Amino acid sequence: MDDGFAEYVAQRHLRLCRMAYLLARDWGTAEDLVQSALAKAWVAWRRIEGNPDPYVYRIIVNTHASWWRRRWRGEVPAESLPDRADPRDRAGEVDEQDALWSAIGTLSSRQRAVIVLHYFEGRTLTQVADIVGCSLGAVKSQLSRALTRLRVDPDIQTMQVERAQR
Amino acid sequence: MTYSTSDLERLLNERGEARAGGGPTAHLDIIIRRGRRIRRTRRAMVAGGALAVAVVAAGLVNALPAGAPRLDRSAVAQSPADSAQIKPAAKLPGSFHVVMGNKNFSLPLLHSERFTTTGAVRTVTFTPASYYTGYMVVCDDPRAWVVIQGKLKGGEAGGTSGRCAPLGGGHHDKSSAPADWLKRPQSVKVWVFPADAPVREVAQAVAGCPLTRKSKECDDEAAAHALMRPEVRERLSSEVGERPGGWTVGVYDRPSPASSAGS
Repeated sequence: MDDGFAEYVAQRHLRLCRMAYLLARDWGTAEDLVQSALAKAWVAWRRIEGNPDPYVYRIIVNTHASWWRRRWRGEVPAESLPDRADPRDRAGEVDEQDALWSAIGTLSSRQRAVIVLHYFEGRTLTQVADIVGCSLGAVKSQLSRALTRLRVDPDIQTMQVERAQR
Repeated sequence: MTYSTSDLERLLNERGEARAGGGPTAHLDIIIRRGRRIRRTRRAMVAGGALAVAVVAAGLVNALPAGAPRLDRSAVAQSPADSAQIKPAAKLPGSFHVVMGNKNFSLPLLHSERFTTTGAVRTVTFTPASYYTGYMVVCDDPRAWVVIQGKLKGGEAGGTSGRCAPLGGGHHDKSSAPADWLKRPQSVKVWVFPADAPVREVAQAVAGCPLTRKSKECDDEAAAHALMRPEVRERLSSEVGERPGGWTVGVYDRPSPASSAGS
C-alpha cells in the first residue's frame, strides 16, 4: 500500500517536524509526534481525499494535546516579560525573542496549536478550526487570548517601528 | 514590551528552522511498521466491539425504548487508536426514583442516547410527557466528570455537575419546569470530561476555584461547582479535546398512574 504515501513523507516530513517542534518545543518529541501521526495517516491513507495535510496536522495537534495533558502541571502565566535596558541593543533583541519564545511555552496546547497553524503554517482561521476540531468562534477566542498573553498586538506592523519610536 | 504579528511570525520561522542543517530523517520503514501495528490494534478492537454489540443484543445492557442510540462514529474514527479502550457500556437504570417530601415515585425511561467520546458538549433533545422529567448520565468510567445543564422556570440555566458516580442526575417538577415545557421539544446539554481532566487546575486558573460551604480547599466539590461556569468548561474542553470515552444519558418522564405523585 503506497499510493503516494512515500512521496508525501519525503516531501513533507521536514516541514511537519518543524511544525511539531513549535508545538512540543523539543526535537526528539517533535520527530516522535510526526512519526506517530504519519503512521496513523498511513492506516487511513486510501480514505483521505485531496490534500492530506489537514488530516495529518489534526493528528499531530491531537496527539500532542494528549501527550501534553499527561504532563500537565498547572498553568504558568507569563505575568511579566523581562524589560529591556536598551531596545537597540542586539543582546536586547535576542532577549526579547527569548522572552516571546518563553511566553509561547506558557500557552495551553490548544492555544499554541492555533498560533502555530495560523502564523507559522499560514492557515486561515477557518482551516485552523477544521484542524483543531472546534468552531471558528472558539478559534478566534483562543487566538485573541493567546495574543494577549504573548503581548502581541495585531495592530503593530513591526517591532522595528516601535523601536524607532522610542 | 509589545510585539507585532510580524515579530511572532519571524520568531516561529527562525525557531522552526533552527535544526534545518541536521534536519530529522524520515524513516519510512519505521512509520509503516508503526502503521501496521496500529491497524492490528484497531482490528482487534473491532473484534472486541462486535462482541460488545452481541452482548447488547442479548439484552444484558439497557433496552432503549425511544429510538436507537446515536453513535458518534465520525469522532471515534478520528480518535487516536492507541487511546481507545474496550470497556463494557455503563448500564442505565430502567427508572428514576424521585423523593419529594411525602411523594415518592419512579419515572420510567423516556429517551436515551449513547456517546462514545468525551470533552465536547452534547445536546439531547426530547419531547417531555409531563412536568416530572428526570435526567441521568452513566459513564463507562464512573470517575469521569459530568455537567448536565437545562432551562429552569425563568429561562435561566440550571443543572448539576460532579463525578459521574454518584452524581446521579436531576429532575424537574411543576415548580422548576419552564412554562413551555409541554408545548415543544426540549433539550439538555451534557458535558462529560475524562476522569483525569485537569478540572481543579482549570477551575483554579480560570475562576479561582471558589469554595463551597462543604469544601475547605479546591477539592472535587469545589471543582465541580466551578464546572457550572461556561468559561471553565470552555477552557477545559480546549485543554482536553475530544477523547474516546463512553457514556449514556437517559431522560425519564411521566410517573406511572400507580405512583404517589401529584399531577
